[in-house]
Amino acid sequence: MTIALETRSLTKQFGGLTAVDSVDLVIQEGSIFSVIGPNGAGKTTFYNCITGFYEPESGEVLFYDKSLVGLTPDQVTYRGISRTYQNIRLFANMSAIENILVGEHSRLRANWADAILHTPRMKKEEKAAVEKARQLLNFVGLVGLGDQLARNLPYGAQRRLEIARALASQPRLLLLDEPTAGMNPHESVDMMHFIRRLRDELGITILLIEHDMRVVMGISEQIAVLDYGAKIAEGTPAEIQGNPRVIEAYLGSGAASGLNNTAARPA
Amino acid sequence: MPSAKAPARRVSTYKIVQTVLGILFAGYLLWRLYVVFIGNPAYGSDTWARFIISGVILGSVYALIAIGYTLVYGILRMINFAHGDIMMIGAFGGYFVFEALKAIPAPTLTDPKFTFSDAHPIIAVLLAFIVGSSIAALSGFFLEKIAYRPLRGAPRLVPLISAIGASIFLENAGQLLFGTQRRDYANPLILTRGDGWNLPIGGATVILPYTGVLTLVVSILLMVGLYLLVMRTRLGRSMRAVAENKQVAALMGIDVDGIISRTFIISGALAGAAGVMWGIHLGLVYYYVGFLPGIKAFTAAVLGGIGSVPGAMLGGLFLGLVESLGPAILGISFQLKDVIAFAILVLVLIFRPTGIVGEVLTEEKV
Amino acid sequence: MRKQIKLSLNAGITFGIITIFLFLVGFTSTVADILAELFHNKAATSLLGLTPQMLNMLIFLGLVGLWAGAFGSRKEKSRSDDPWGVAVLDSLITGLVHGLLVCGLVLLVGTLDLRGVRMNVYLAQVLPAAVKLFLLGKAPLAGGLFYIVFMLATGFLGGLFSRGIGRGSWRRRSAAAWKNTWESFNRLSFVTQVRGNPITRYVIYGLLLLLVFLVPLGAGQYWNYTIGTVGIYVLLGLGLNIVVGLAGLLDLGYVAFFAIGAYTMALLTAPAPHHLLWSFWIVLPVGVVLAAITGLLLGTPVLRMRGDYLAIVTLGFGEIIRILSKSDDLTAFTGGPKGVTAVGGPTLFGKPFNSAIDYVYLIFLAVLLVIFVTNRLQNSRVGRAWEAMREDETVSRAMGINTLTQKLLAFAIGAAFAGLGGAIFASRNQFTGPDDFSLMVSINVVAVVIVGGMGNIPGVIAGALVLKGLPEVLRQLQDYRVLVFGALLVAMMLWRPAGIIPSSRRKMESNKDTGVTETPKEGREG
Repeated sequence: MTIALETRSLTKQFGGLTAVDSVDLVIQEGSIFSVIGPNGAGKTTFYNCITGFYEPESGEVLFYDKSLVGLTPDQVTYRGISRTYQNIRLFANMSAIENILVGEHSRLRANWADAILHTPRMKKEEKAAVEKARQLLNFVGLVGLGDQLARNLPYGAQRRLEIARALASQPRLLLLDEPTAGMNPHESVDMMHFIRRLRDELGITILLIEHDMRVVMGISEQIAVLDYGAKIAEGTPAEIQGNPRVIEAYLGSGAASGLNNTAARPA
Repeated sequence: MPSAKAPARRVSTYKIVQTVLGILFAGYLLWRLYVVFIGNPAYGSDTWARFIISGVILGSVYALIAIGYTLVYGILRMINFAHGDIMMIGAFGGYFVFEALKAIPAPTLTDPKFTFSDAHPIIAVLLAFIVGSSIAALSGFFLEKIAYRPLRGAPRLVPLISAIGASIFLENAGQLLFGTQRRDYANPLILTRGDGWNLPIGGATVILPYTGVLTLVVSILLMVGLYLLVMRTRLGRSMRAVAENKQVAALMGIDVDGIISRTFIISGALAGAAGVMWGIHLGLVYYYVGFLPGIKAFTAAVLGGIGSVPGAMLGGLFLGLVESLGPAILGISFQLKDVIAFAILVLVLIFRPTGIVGEVLTEEKV
Repeated sequence: MRKQIKLSLNAGITFGIITIFLFLVGFTSTVADILAELFHNKAATSLLGLTPQMLNMLIFLGLVGLWAGAFGSRKEKSRSDDPWGVAVLDSLITGLVHGLLVCGLVLLVGTLDLRGVRMNVYLAQVLPAAVKLFLLGKAPLAGGLFYIVFMLATGFLGGLFSRGIGRGSWRRRSAAAWKNTWESFNRLSFVTQVRGNPITRYVIYGLLLLLVFLVPLGAGQYWNYTIGTVGIYVLLGLGLNIVVGLAGLLDLGYVAFFAIGAYTMALLTAPAPHHLLWSFWIVLPVGVVLAAITGLLLGTPVLRMRGDYLAIVTLGFGEIIRILSKSDDLTAFTGGPKGVTAVGGPTLFGKPFNSAIDYVYLIFLAVLLVIFVTNRLQNSRVGRAWEAMREDETVSRAMGINTLTQKLLAFAIGAAFAGLGGAIFASRNQFTGPDDFSLMVSINVVAVVIVGGMGNIPGVIAGALVLKGLPEVLRQLQDYRVLVFGALLVAMMLWRPAGIIPSSRRKMESNKDTGVTETPKEGREG
């Protein structure tokens, strides 16, 4: 199997604080991989190191065996990594379809001269781009809402639009940051199915940050747990659920020892 | 961590160009320094002393204004574009106090033209500072309340444009109210501009002006006072808390809007005092008087690392010195001294946007 | 109740200060003159012992009083009932406070004037004639009392207008009525057809263009000059619109590029100081390209900074250019403080351009070209990238946009437009000098863009017409123009940050001319 993304002792520091502490991860192509951890565990910083917003102090990020360290965010996107945000960050005053077209930016070639002269190449490309944007709208189930301003869309539709925008750059790896935040259980289940569809139908590797344990346990094939920037556990959902260090990180040391005791008693 | 190897850094062409330009510029500067001081000295030590004296005095005024920029920036992360115009308002406040006190006759036997402000210069100067600062502080308060407060949380460009609008408004209101002519500050007799102690330097006498010493002393006092206020009082603590994080400060029971108001009052008062000093030391006051000092003080604030109070003081002093020494060192005409200030601003922002002291960049959480 | 009274007290104080300010800046006299010109009643007839000028001023102050009353009695959201009594009380309180403040001013100014104090030494606009006008020729006490009564009465009326008549605010109802009319207008089949059909749209554009091209024929030399100036501001506005409106970069030194265009034209075509005498048509593109290159050179370091630093650095750059062009050291190269005279003009088919009308057409052509280019850019990959950057720079980077390149592009294209404007400007005036490129030009252009509506072309044109054209029509307002700019910028940011004409979005999802039609359906599968 091919390795989509690999980090080798990735470290990011802010002043004295080590936000990401020599994290090693290996994500197989075509898998759904979750990164979990308590608030402030460094998950979002980890994302920012991968996507080029932060330059790590040390360590490597390899995407299909090529280093991403030192690339700018747009170059990272061009290589095939795309992301969504925890608090939805759409281009609020642009229409839904324009949002998706912006997402296609890195796959389009038309420059300013093409735009002014309306060269045939540009016209063809633009037509195809709009067509693709419509297909994406269709794929995420937003047909008919394409000309609405992004800020006027309902919450769930905004989440989907954000994913459609991320898909528009034809990513091989999609980073989702809490895609079910603010959703009710029913909507969360919908989103889980949708994420699986992304992988199964489009073949995109998915890296997920999520707080909702039902979602994490429901769809992940592999889970890594971060605490204070360091990876404290990695494994399948079943392995993680039983891991005392994970429970300790989430609930505090007392709870973990208590839990260990209750677990020990029947045995 | 012995296993962690440093990632291969990519060096951008821009960085290379930047470094090359930096080295070239530094080389040019060194060469000029050599020419001016050793190779072909154009000025004697008395002239340099004069440059330094005027630079330090000017610098202390810039520093006071720069503190206002820095305080507001620290808390609101916005450039208070109208700050220079607040200084103008303060300068006019002082001007009117002196005019009023000059109008009260207090004749003595030796001089029948003696007036109240000549007879009681301390009271007159104190009154000018109090009135100038208060009016400026009040303007700062209303400026924030009207033009900035409703825009809290708006995109960054919006309050900035509002600030520019406020600045234009204040300047032109000043022009319409007080006319376009430059007005001479009616200093008390003791503080006549140009009078001072004569210092023998390098075989010539250099005048250390009384007005300049007054300016320097007052600004140092105000800066010490401000430092104590920020570091030692409850208000200062709240200000620092709000600058750090508004939400958390609000949760801790700090009245954020109130603190912001007070910040504007304090920075306005400092700018007002600077305006009065400007009037006393340099004399001329008119509606546009705040523009250049405002921009230059902003440069000073950036130079020192915007958001940092000690940085603003250092930056102000540095800028004052550079402005008065620069033309002589670089061998260009004194007409171009304003270009030096602007060029420094551009250079600092290009080479070291965090300034001398360095702003801690925590606000952008991607 | 307490809060309501405080609200109307505040309104009274605010309007009192406004009225006093208007008097101190001499606006009360100016407005009287303007109204006199409008009504043609300069004659020395008098009514109730008041000259027409005084009556004119009172009309204006009456309007201010009405507004104060209406403002003071505006309804708090939580209070929906008893409009009558409260409204009357509120408007009376506002009017009284307003009147008292003005009365205080009248007493002070009037007494000082009687004592022979020449206040205009300190307050430039408080001339004896202005004081006499403001006091309506009466003694201070009588004048003061009159203003109390006057402001009470107008405030009361204003309160009646805003709340007293009927239940609910008339303002809200009239706003609703306007909206209804507008919507039913939009629903008319004729209107939708015109809007939807590209051919009728082009016909309308064509007619508008024809009208625009006919106007200069009927206008004289002076008006054509003014139209040309407005046109140049449209050019500058459209250029800055790309930088500020589309890409979201606040450039306060935009005048620098204008200056580079103008100086290029001047130095290459004028007999002095270089005696190059190039042809206008060659220099025009040279100026545009030079301005664009300067934009790139300045932009490369500067655009890496955060937005608010950019504003100050560009401002500094604009000043550097101006100071350098003014400096004696460079007189041999730039013509120094006196500027460059006898700048060359274009010749077309052997006919030299020598009247304002020729230049008006040239400027029109330039504006059309710029509109065309802007429009094409806006609706392309590049334009979308700019707008995305303005909306959220961080996310746009994550979407694969190289923000630095895009910013540079916006900066360079904006600069190119300014260079074009500058070159034509210098040629038309046959002169260019440092004083043409003060900071005020940059500020004017920023105001044109922001007032009109950031990011849209009709907005910029409207902004240029309002801000540069209107003051030409009302010459007396010239002195207040910049003051109003400042106030307008603040007011726009407070109430309408999107500008007079906010930009509208292109419909793309079901665009017929791309050949794909999809029936909108409710689609929400997981």
